[in-house]
Amino acid sequence: MSSVVPTTAVSTAAPTAVSRGLLGCECCGLVSEVIRAAGTPRCPRCGFALHARKPQSLQRTTAYLLAAAVLYLPANTLPIMATASAIAGRESHTILGGIIELWQTGSWDLALVVFVASIAVPILKIASLTLLVFTARRQSRWRQVERTTLYRVLETVGHWSMLDVFVVVLLVGMVRFGAFASVEPGPGLLAFGGVVILTMLASASFDPRLIWPEFSIDD
Amino acid sequence: MPVVKAATRRVLAGLGLVDRRDAVHAHPELVACEECDAVYTRRPLSAGELARCPRCAAVLGRGHLLAVDGQLALTSGALVVFVLGNVSDIVTLDLRGVHTQVTLWESIWFTWLSGQEVVALLAGATAFAFPLAVILLRLYVLTPLVAGRRVRGFVPAMRALRWVTRWSMVEVFLFGTLVAIVKIAGMANVVPGVGIFSFGVLTLLLAANQAAGLHGIWQQASALPP
Repeated sequence: MSSVVPTTAVSTAAPTAVSRGLLGCECCGLVSEVIRAAGTPRCPRCGFALHARKPQSLQRTTAYLLAAAVLYLPANTLPIMATASAIAGRESHTILGGIIELWQTGSWDLALVVFVASIAVPILKIASLTLLVFTARRQSRWRQVERTTLYRVLETVGHWSMLDVFVVVLLVGMVRFGAFASVEPGPGLLAFGGVVILTMLASASFDPRLIWPEFSIDD
Repeated sequence: MPVVKAATRRVLAGLGLVDRRDAVHAHPELVACEECDAVYTRRPLSAGELARCPRCAAVLGRGHLLAVDGQLALTSGALVVFVLGNVSDIVTLDLRGVHTQVTLWESIWFTWLSGQEVVALLAGATAFAFPLAVILLRLYVLTPLVAGRRVRGFVPAMRALRWVTRWSMVEVFLFGTLVAIVKIAGMANVVPGVGIFSFGVLTLLLAANQAAGLHGIWQQASALPP
């Protein structure tokens, strides 16, 4: 992955911005040197607040994670939708129930996708971010490259968990045959949407630079 | 009082009315890794070339495959398919002779009516409002930039663009429609509509634009007078 390195390193030791008195802007990417600032220095290009590390990153990530973990239970036990039809009557569906149904009707491939997006990704996200917060708090130097890669993957796949929310919203819109058949969203869907939003906020609050504490000056 | 002053200064600085460069010195020749904070000097990248951080393998920069005029063309196309996708039916259902058509808006509206207002808002924001904002903000920023000008309010527009891009989920919505179709295929006859193909094209166009990133636009614009 890193066999070709098309950038010229300033030195082989790869000093950090912080150790050189520089701050990289999280918004526009410009590197700045703060000579004097009354309060929080601002990026001269985009005006975004410049920090060596995102402020209270670990505390905020932990708070979002706890909230997501609490909502995870109702998201998976309460029905995300209810179907009513003339033949089958009224039925409630949970997330896991929907996956089993897809599997049994022969769509094992889609069942797998929904399982990954709705069950695996939220759990792995909560578990991985917990690991990242825990190791960052201990200023661990264990597997730093792998932990950074893990963070990158979390940021990339995080929003895919919204899949089931869209599926239910679309089914509600599609299945409107009055007494024949109809679909209604359930309270579990709200909790599930909450889990997705909270885990996205948690990973946005985490600062991956905390995985590399060697040259850090604060905290 | 100093808080108000700082906020005012921030707004003014955002609009380019106050020059704060006296206190903070920019180093456009450097790049700091967003994921491990290592610092490198920039060098021009050839088209399609990817610069990765040697320490943590994060992407530091990308050679432009798509210049701003190309990005503007893609964004204009995205606006067309976005409008098309929102006014057209996603699918048509046929249950023993009874037909229903559904658009994105109808789905959101019926979710709202069935008592899950927050979920309806969430879906409306991530599948409609934020993607629309991404397209409009890109057009607003890129159209003058192609002509070599920097639009008024460039900085707030770019900062808003960064935020809405993160929360725009057209590709997830598209996949959601496919799952929903499979789920009801056993119950009713489903015919995919123009809407679903429009969202498919929109996903591709937005993905191509997002791959180009925003840092290139920042760099190009900062060479122009505000």
